[in-house]
Amino acid sequence: MAFLDNSGDIILDAVLTDTGRMRLARADGSFKIVKFALGDDEINYENYNLNHASGSSYYDLEVLQTPILEAFTNNSSLMKSKLISMSRNDLLYLPVLKWNQTLSNTASNASGSMLVAVDTSTEAAFAGGKGTNRIDGLIYGASRKSPYRIRVDQGIDAVDSGQNAIISPASALDADLVETQYMIQIDNRFGNIRSVNDSLASVSFVDDDNIASYYFSLGTDLEIVKENTSRKAGAPDQVIAGPRGTICEFQIQSSLELNTSNFLFQQLGSRLNMYKNDGKTVATVYYIDSTVRIQGATTGYSLDLPVRFIKLV
Amino acid sequence: MATVYKTLTNNDTVSTRTLLHEAIPMTGSIVSGTYSDLNIKNYAHGMFQSVYDYPYLSSSANHIFDVTLGYSAKSALSSSTSTQNSKKINIYNQMAQVLMGYDATGSVQRFDEDGDILAGGTKIDSCYFMNFSRLLVKDEIKKGTFQLTLMMSGTAGGHAYPSGNRVLIHDSSASNDFRVNSPAGEYGILQAVNETAGVLGVQNVPVGLIYYQAGIVVLSGSVFLSATKGGRISATDGSAIMDTLEPTVGAARNMTQMMTGSSITGSADALRRRIYNIQFNNTTELNSTIYFCRINHNDYNYSSNPTYMSGSKIRVKNTRSDAPSSYITTVGLYSADNELLAVAKVSEPLKKDPTNELTLRVRLDY
Repeated sequence: MAFLDNSGDIILDAVLTDTGRMRLARADGSFKIVKFALGDDEINYENYNLNHASGSSYYDLEVLQTPILEAFTNNSSLMKSKLISMSRNDLLYLPVLKWNQTLSNTASNASGSMLVAVDTSTEAAFAGGKGTNRIDGLIYGASRKSPYRIRVDQGIDAVDSGQNAIISPASALDADLVETQYMIQIDNRFGNIRSVNDSLASVSFVDDDNIASYYFSLGTDLEIVKENTSRKAGAPDQVIAGPRGTICEFQIQSSLELNTSNFLFQQLGSRLNMYKNDGKTVATVYYIDSTVRIQGATTGYSLDLPVRFIKLV
Repeated sequence: MATVYKTLTNNDTVSTRTLLHEAIPMTGSIVSGTYSDLNIKNYAHGMFQSVYDYPYLSSSANHIFDVTLGYSAKSALSSSTSTQNSKKINIYNQMAQVLMGYDATGSVQRFDEDGDILAGGTKIDSCYFMNFSRLLVKDEIKKGTFQLTLMMSGTAGGHAYPSGNRVLIHDSSASNDFRVNSPAGEYGILQAVNETAGVLGVQNVPVGLIYYQAGIVVLSGSVFLSATKGGRISATDGSAIMDTLEPTVGAARNMTQMMTGSSITGSADALRRRIYNIQFNNTTELNSTIYFCRINHNDYNYSSNPTYMSGSKIRVKNTRSDAPSSYITTVGLYSADNELLAVAKVSEPLKKDPTNELTLRVRLDY
């Protein structure tokens, strides 16, 4: 998309998204706009210069000069970072989401992503390795009972130059900063979300790009959203240095299509060689690289985690 | 409590209807000359001819209008010896049944010169039809804006563009004088005036009909005939020569001869070569919903943008007492399920802090 002309009056360029058009075409009343949110996708706040020599009027000079792109119509390409309403103005720190890979069952694969074995033969080939032959971050997408999971922690992660928490984790996170609901988005062609106890979650909706959205709430989805009760500073199993809020952890169930067919692997993926769990035999696998997006429904903060679906050739 | 969505109330939404007009100018040379007729598409069935704004084999070409003609079975022109007699009658009847409808007995009504069907009066029994494409007409032709200038040369070579003896055919009074007794919507009476003095004996004479929503002009054959032959052209100009270019015809032909002795496409060629200019304004009916996104002083002063924080510290603040600020670039409109249904972008970032309030007016057109 081109940039919007910013030489004159401020204009507003509005379009229906592809999902909006799909809902409209269905003519079933599902096209109903009931709320709005604001985004600042193009803004890089690193350009906000609190130390500008010319004074405070110049702090946001570069930010305000940011050219704005025309609206995309792809609903999943927009509103990546949302603005947040808070009733108070005295916050200096905001909570973030961080991928917790510190535990043996939450660590990612050496490739930097979580692996999802989409059928049992792939699981058998790569799971159960011992010592250096162990393949980390391997979620059993077909048979369940997977030791591995994806875990995301929420809280204030502010550290000083010595990597010490600026605010002690012993302090409770303010109630209005605790994330109580998470939205997880995954490509519905590849997989579904399931809890660490193997309960398959119900999808909220699937958009026109096959992106499935799931909602999980604290107190309702007990297996997925939990309160983080750890208050210990420097705890090795924690990635949030300061006050901690909630934990969102889940697994991925591979889709039936990936399980039973190679079509999507051939169309969207590629092949690579991997050592099996004996550490000696090399096997060729199909793989598809995708992402899973975890977004705090309350605070809007989001995290995209890389996921690689694999299948023995 | 932190929130990212704000509910739109009934007071934040309003529906409006706007009529948008565009000027559509068509120079005569485009329809007869510039592209050596490569922009003219004829069909094997020979029922009509399509005019494009560029050689039609190019993907850049846009269809602008079709030309055809016909006469009523009750016309004196109707004869088994006339060229394409049945096709011309079929065309007339088809257009009449769509544009004029049926009478109480179920018979197709003929085109009426003044639109007063009940009073009887003069019928248009032989006519050209110019069917403008929806690309140009959009929802309708704006009443009172249609102008067609014809070159009415009395000489055989008069088809060269431009030529003198021009007549302006327009619907100038139609904005407040139009008819509604057609099944195809509203229509107006086309009248002819001299653009070159002396061509018409009488000014403001009715020479056709224009159907605004259908985007069709019915042009009476009388406009090309001299008064002595029942037409509108003054006696001094004689019968307007329609064309000499039809390959099978050696001599110049007037309108009556064209109607009876030429094919539809040949007659369409003749009309195109008489067009000096066409101009009208189209109308697009825009139905809009306006969403007033009201942003209060304590709304949206923080961001979840990953660059908004360094660690967890807000970049735009030095101390707790500093006012937070954020920069709006996008407005997302959502369903109850948080599906992004529409999106609007502002042309430059809007600063939002606790000292200001904004109302962003997002209009969606349908």
